[in-house]
Amino acid sequence: MAGIAVKGRGKQKIKPRDLAVTIAFLAPAILICIVFIIYPVLDTVELSFNKWNGMYGVPEEFVGLENYQKILSDKLFWNAMLNSVYFMIGGFLVLMPLAFGLALLVTSKIRGTSFFRTCYFLPVMLGTTAVALMWTFILNPNYGLLHTIYNMTGNTSSIPDVLSTKTLNVWVVVLVNEWMYAGYNMLIFAAGLVAIPEDINEAAMLDGATGWQRIRYVTIPLMKNSFKVFSILCITGCLKVFDIIWAMTRGGPNDASSTPTIMLYSQGFSYKLFGRSSAYGVVLLVLGVGLSVLCNKVFAEDKELKA
Amino acid sequence: MEENTVVKKNKKKVRVGTILLYVFAIFWVLCTLFPVFITVLSSFKSKSEIYLNLLALPQEWLISNYVSANSTAHAMRTIGNSLLVACLTTIANTVVGMLAAYSLSRKTYGFLKYVYVFFMIGVMVPVHCTLIPINNLATALNAKNNLFFLITVYVAFNMSQAIFLYVGFMNGISRELDEAAIIDGCSNWSLLWRILFPVCKPIVATEAIFIFISGYSELVFSMILMTDDKHFTVSRAMLNFSSVHSQDIGPQFAFVVMSVIPMFLIYVLFHNQIEKGMLSGAIKG
Repeated sequence: MAGIAVKGRGKQKIKPRDLAVTIAFLAPAILICIVFIIYPVLDTVELSFNKWNGMYGVPEEFVGLENYQKILSDKLFWNAMLNSVYFMIGGFLVLMPLAFGLALLVTSKIRGTSFFRTCYFLPVMLGTTAVALMWTFILNPNYGLLHTIYNMTGNTSSIPDVLSTKTLNVWVVVLVNEWMYAGYNMLIFAAGLVAIPEDINEAAMLDGATGWQRIRYVTIPLMKNSFKVFSILCITGCLKVFDIIWAMTRGGPNDASSTPTIMLYSQGFSYKLFGRSSAYGVVLLVLGVGLSVLCNKVFAEDKELKA
Repeated sequence: MEENTVVKKNKKKVRVGTILLYVFAIFWVLCTLFPVFITVLSSFKSKSEIYLNLLALPQEWLISNYVSANSTAHAMRTIGNSLLVACLTTIANTVVGMLAAYSLSRKTYGFLKYVYVFFMIGVMVPVHCTLIPINNLATALNAKNNLFFLITVYVAFNMSQAIFLYVGFMNGISRELDEAAIIDGCSNWSLLWRILFPVCKPIVATEAIFIFISGYSELVFSMILMTDDKHFTVSRAMLNFSSVHSQDIGPQFAFVVMSVIPMFLIYVLFHNQIEKGMLSGAIKG
């Protein structure tokens, strides 16, 4: 009996055994993060000030800020940044309204919402590479959908390859990306929608608010948090986009559709410029962390203003 | 009388709105299913049929594309590799993540604050900037083509996010539950796995499915860490196949279909879980 009492009260006192258990529970997670995230990040920073051809055993050569000068004066770097911005623009102008609209739809009172929800979410489950390849097939100039439609109308002239046309191909990939993630973001918004108490909507309806007004003045202001989650995921996700564009265009033609992550990969693993590739990594790191913090700040301040 | 017409008008308006809603809903269903439909259809067609008309039904349902995808690209083997990677990543992430989350949520030591911040930083780091050091690490440890090394890398990348979600969920569980268990003589270990884990099931299941998808279809790290085609994961193998055998169109379609079958089955089984999890706000920025 006494022993139990001690156990119950012992919360404030540090018990060596409990402390040891706590540390042991945390150790694997911390260790794995240090070895595979913290150490590599520090190593990237260090390597970005060096020149190295990636050969194991060949010493690195310190070059100071040269890698940064090189990438910042490289048109391809700015092109890659611009492509990331295209993804963000697409995210906010296409994906956000689309996902929000779908969320309204699947939380509305029409029949079959659970079927619609299940359908819309499907693309995310298929995996990026499979989605990218499906669309690559459909967009293929030799047998794809446009080609088929062209043939049906009796036109036999060849159609351009959209995936190897500069700029256009980035936008095509952006749209495929929105197609894939519409259902996923729909659920983020739907989570916000179902959290709104029904009586608020009813009150607005009694006050004579039309459907559109209810969405504009009741629903959207109450969904700040969903928009915050969407914005953070969208901005950081667009910075990191790799798989879908690599699978569809390989960053081509001539790196025109490259994103920063593709530049990072190709500078390192195709051109063996590991220092420069690391400089890309550091730029990504700074932007990634910076933008996440900024987003959190922007939305946090907004909340205080409201309160 | 007048009121009556207003009501009627309103009803009519509602109806038009509902019809528009249905039109849009069905339109997007078609948009979503169309590429999948085309891919499945084409995977049963011969090359000349695909060239002739992408939209037509196959004249004869061929399975030769599947046979050839399996013999040329070893589709089954790569899918097996990916499934193994995804399963082990998910299990390891859940176990290690829950252990850490338990300590962070249930203990009050001062240093835990810093540990939490440490993991939060992990959430923000874009994983791609670790590409070169991890490649070097793999070379140094002679761990290229080692599936377990790849799994550990994936576990690390998903860890911070998972811990963040688990801690958030666990903080919402009443501590009275723990106290009762402690009085009954529960150790930390059994308190976590016997008492808290079952309560955390919704968040664990939802997160597990997302970790599984990312492990199954991850591309970049499997591109640099797996150089031997025996160990290719499915994404890597599909891309390789579509560029090396770019003329074998039918088998490419078949490979894509085969690669999505496991995910499709998982979705059929767990879609309610995913939707429930996400609707309760499992995803946070």
